[in-house]
Amino acid sequence: MNELLLQGLVNGIILGTIYALIGLSLNVIFGVLRVVNFAHGEFIILGAYGAYFAQQWMGLSPFVAMPLIFAVFGATGYGLYFLLIRRLAKSDDPEHASLLVMFGVAIALGALMLIFFEADSRSLAYSIDPPFFMFGSIIVPTSKLLALGIIVVITAILAWFLYRTLPGKALRAIIMNRDAVQIVGVDLERMSAMTFGLGLGLAGITGVLVALIFPSFSPFIGQDYTLIGFIVIVLGGLGHPVGAVVGGIIFGLTEQTALVYTSGTTATLLGFLLLIGVILVRPTGLFGREALK
Amino acid sequence: MEDKLDSKIKILIWIGVVTLLTVCFAAVPLFTDNLSFMFYMMLWIIMASAFNFVAGLAGYMPFGYVAFYGVGAYATGILYKTFGLPIPVALIGAGLMGVAVGLLLAPTLRLRGVYFGIVSLALAMAAKLTIALMPAEITGGSLGLILSSANNPLAAYYAMFIVLLMLLACGTWLSMSRTGTALRAIRDDQEAAAVVGVNVVGTRMKAWISAALFPALVGGVEAWYTNAIDLESSFNLLITAKSIVYAMAGGLGYLVGPILGSGLLYGVDQLIWRQFPTLNLLLLGVIIVVLMLMLPRGIVGAFAQRFSKLRKYIP
Repeated sequence: MNELLLQGLVNGIILGTIYALIGLSLNVIFGVLRVVNFAHGEFIILGAYGAYFAQQWMGLSPFVAMPLIFAVFGATGYGLYFLLIRRLAKSDDPEHASLLVMFGVAIALGALMLIFFEADSRSLAYSIDPPFFMFGSIIVPTSKLLALGIIVVITAILAWFLYRTLPGKALRAIIMNRDAVQIVGVDLERMSAMTFGLGLGLAGITGVLVALIFPSFSPFIGQDYTLIGFIVIVLGGLGHPVGAVVGGIIFGLTEQTALVYTSGTTATLLGFLLLIGVILVRPTGLFGREALK
Repeated sequence: MEDKLDSKIKILIWIGVVTLLTVCFAAVPLFTDNLSFMFYMMLWIIMASAFNFVAGLAGYMPFGYVAFYGVGAYATGILYKTFGLPIPVALIGAGLMGVAVGLLLAPTLRLRGVYFGIVSLALAMAAKLTIALMPAEITGGSLGLILSSANNPLAAYYAMFIVLLMLLACGTWLSMSRTGTALRAIRDDQEAAAVVGVNVVGTRMKAWISAALFPALVGGVEAWYTNAIDLESSFNLLITAKSIVYAMAGGLGYLVGPILGSGLLYGVDQLIWRQFPTLNLLLLGVIIVVLMLMLPRGIVGAFAQRFSKLRKYIP
């Protein structure tokens, strides 16, 4: 195997885990709330700005800022649930209504960021020693390696939460059957608000990681992350946590190995074609069950 | 007997609306040189109404709706500029391209709910990237295409007017014929419709292709009007956003809904735009959220719910 391809595969796995994290938080929200968070990418970019300003104003390193951002975003999500999401459940078609409301939130949030942070791209000014590691002939920047480590830890904590704790089990039970869990006494309202908080908190953390790994960010690119998140969750199956991880890594690998041979535009296009291909063969995604009603 | 009278009143109201729109838009150039406002008013009426064909009548939400618009704009530009065809032929080409893309994407109609919306969005991005990858000699590359040699705003205005008339005719056909009844039956219960002998696939296709044709024509005429085409503005997601918002604000499922919604909100949009250009986007977002939370069925839908006796008269 040639070295370039190997480098592409390594990049693919690392970026794939970031995509997986985006998909994971989107899928937790969709699974529990039936809300398609169109504004996810904007929240991610807001997280990136959070890391940027935490460093500029308070001198906090991004790693210290991360739990803070998780807490702030989590609380915001908890509040937003009562402000926006709860009312949607009563609409004729909650899924589409949620998609549209979050679309509005995305537009408004993008505009707010443009007004407050201006249109210039920003990048996080920090350095780690050593700046990169060499594995044979493969270069892996330390920041990416750290991000990979953080994502693995977050995913492990999330998996433990979902599969080993009582609220986590309740949350998965809601994904499986909304009506039945109410009968057994799960407080759907509180769980839903908590889930939205969890989803946005994870989006905030993803933003810090995005600021760490990618050279720059601006108010305009939120949409790109939303789209990647959508591709990942549709690939893996809507509402399925494991599907999101697999979908993210497949998408990352496809994009990054394609990048070895072609331009960025072609690589992105291939990602979209992968999605369309999978959907036509398996309309429910790799792990999903219910796309066709 | 009463049923027949009701539908007669409904048809009369619709004829009134159509006549009003026709006279109004046909006469505008006689009174003013500033066509832009009314030109874009027609554009949004068409975009929102065609969106309604597939969203309101068939129950699909294509978030990649802008793809048809962008493909239409590029088809017009390429046929005119690169192949040297006259504008009317280029516009017909744009319509045909829209239909072709609609047919190409028809398999996605198997998907339902948000799956369809998301895949449609991905397809719009794929269409944009495909055009970006085409040779720059054909598409003008990142600079886009300039059609200044075709500059004729008045002719473009009347071209949009003709598209509007076609749209009104198509809307009448889709909503008031047997096709309209079949569409509503499919939207409300697909299996039941199939059981009573409705051709589900064929009927849905009529709505879908109509919803692909009109944005493509609009994209082409708009390109002619502004004389400029580029990837970022032709495939701007805000075009989808505005089409959806205007249609929903008026009320999906009614012919008059998107017309009313576009008329009101486009007017508001222009007012805000003139006063506070930077806040425009923010307000658009806020309007979407507030509308969805307060008035999810739109103005006409809320009216029909409040005065349910009058519902049968609303076209």
